[in-house]
Amino acid sequence: MIEKPGLTLYGLFIVMALLAAAALLLGVAVSSILVLLLVYAALAYSINFITGMIGYVDFGHVLFMAIGSYALATLVSHYEANPLLGVGLGALLGLVFALGIGLVILRFRGVYFAITTVVLVLAAYNIVLQFPQLGAGGEIIVNLTFQPLATYFTIWTIVLIEIVLTYYVNRSRIGFGIRAIKNEEDAASSVGVSPRTLKLTGYMLGGLFGGAAGAVYAWSISGVTAGPAFDFTFSLLMLAMIIIGGVGTSIGPLLGAVVVYIPSYFLLTTVAQAQPLIIGLLVIIMALFLPDGIVGLLRRSNEHLRLVLE
Amino acid sequence: MVAADLVVRDLVFGLLLGCVFSVVAHGLNIIWGIVKVINIAHGEFIMLGAYGAYFLNLFAGLTPLEAAPVDAAIGLLVGYAFYYTFLHRELRDKETITLQSEMVTLAATFGLSLFVSNLAIILFTGNPVGINYNPGTLQFGYLHVPLAALYVAILSVLIITGTWLFLERTFIGSAIRAYAQDVTATELVGANPAKVASLATALGFAVTMAGGALLTVWIPVGINPLMGALYAPISFVIVVLGGPGKMWGSLVGGLTLGVVIDVVQAFTTVEIAYAAAFLILIPVLVFRPEGLLKR
Repeated sequence: MIEKPGLTLYGLFIVMALLAAAALLLGVAVSSILVLLLVYAALAYSINFITGMIGYVDFGHVLFMAIGSYALATLVSHYEANPLLGVGLGALLGLVFALGIGLVILRFRGVYFAITTVVLVLAAYNIVLQFPQLGAGGEIIVNLTFQPLATYFTIWTIVLIEIVLTYYVNRSRIGFGIRAIKNEEDAASSVGVSPRTLKLTGYMLGGLFGGAAGAVYAWSISGVTAGPAFDFTFSLLMLAMIIIGGVGTSIGPLLGAVVVYIPSYFLLTTVAQAQPLIIGLLVIIMALFLPDGIVGLLRRSNEHLRLVLE
Repeated sequence: MVAADLVVRDLVFGLLLGCVFSVVAHGLNIIWGIVKVINIAHGEFIMLGAYGAYFLNLFAGLTPLEAAPVDAAIGLLVGYAFYYTFLHRELRDKETITLQSEMVTLAATFGLSLFVSNLAIILFTGNPVGINYNPGTLQFGYLHVPLAALYVAILSVLIITGTWLFLERTFIGSAIRAYAQDVTATELVGANPAKVASLATALGFAVTMAGGALLTVWIPVGINPLMGALYAPISFVIVVLGGPGKMWGSLVGGLTLGVVIDVVQAFTTVEIAYAAAFLILIPVLVFRPEGLLKR
């Protein structure tokens, strides 16, 4: 079923190459600005495995990000481990938690799933406050020498893996199965697709990469605090990124990450609330009028783009 | 004996808290049960209701109890506006809401929640405010019950009873119930589905904003732009516990949650109490997805 890779993948590779070159050539200042963009992109691709592919709206994806952040922060601050080990542990814990949680909550469909994800984040937040080992709500400081390039290329690698994986999953047998679930779960199971396994696979991929991205985020901001780590704004921004970019596509999450990131960069200094405000408005407009996001808009506007964009 | 006193006290306070939770969740229940749409921005309208009560108190000297009907009237208008901007396009000419439309409404109301809460931070600042309303306490032996909480509880039960009576005993109410069961049939008997659905949505918003006003009695220094992030999930849990569309379900779910929070809190900490309250949702969805009430 796998065909020759199309222009979309090459285009994404070029963007990634430019991002790598920018960090190497333009130095620390640029890479410390772009690292957040890449964290956004990594998170957008990770939630895309769940919401984008299976079609289940996940409001609580920040849970996996927080798990990753705490994994790295605890490992580095208590055991003085290499931060890369922290990223690995974040990814692993994200995967394990996704397996455990997914086994239970993927049985709930549609809105029931969506609501359960919200509730889980709040429960997890209240539980973390109980543990002095996890800072009991205070900050765990990650005390490392400033290594912007190491952080940058870790998250760069994660995004690159996500892009390739998204692209091939979308084109493969698994991708067809997953899209079948998205359209009609009961019909899918009656023609031999196993929704349980596929949904769990998507959810675990989401957990894995969400955890990894969260770990790098904690690394880049040198610590983790319970309040911001479980902040719904982040969770909502991730969802906003794929809704704006194009849910389920290979290129949409990156487009969405750029759109969400730009106001945060330019407006943060003036009005902190301007970013979520604008993003909220964009999501409303997108959801009501352009349900397939920027990618859908581009596809409809141009016959050539329709064939190329994935 | 002392332990028994404490349990009774926690039960009473849990029930009073449960009443206000019920009314806060009731608006979501109405819209979810009848229009079959989940308003993710529900918490933001509770917040607006609370701020409504705050400003009515500040500028007009109204108590939260007096502010509730004013909030409800504003809520009616907001509800109609919400229906025609967010839901009408997705719901018209459809017998049942499709999964696609469900996702659209989830995403759109989610955008709305992000928009409204952040607009509120800009307009009202992030600093919490509160209303000073204390009509005294009522004493039953060792129990001191704040009258404000008692009034709110009574009003909450009255509101829920009122909506039940409206739906069960009036002609328009039966049209709304018909819509909840079968949209096409509503049309066949001559009712305009859009009018019925918009009325139900408006009713839901009226109750939600009035609930926000009543809630202010419980949070004397806690009205803030982000309060929706707590009360929306609480409302979701309550509606699932009671079963969407069952008017008494709000009360069953709210009281259950109120008692769980107060009793667990008595033995552990407030954080564990809220974690427990949220996690109830999962076993309920696994074992009784239709809610705690049989019918």
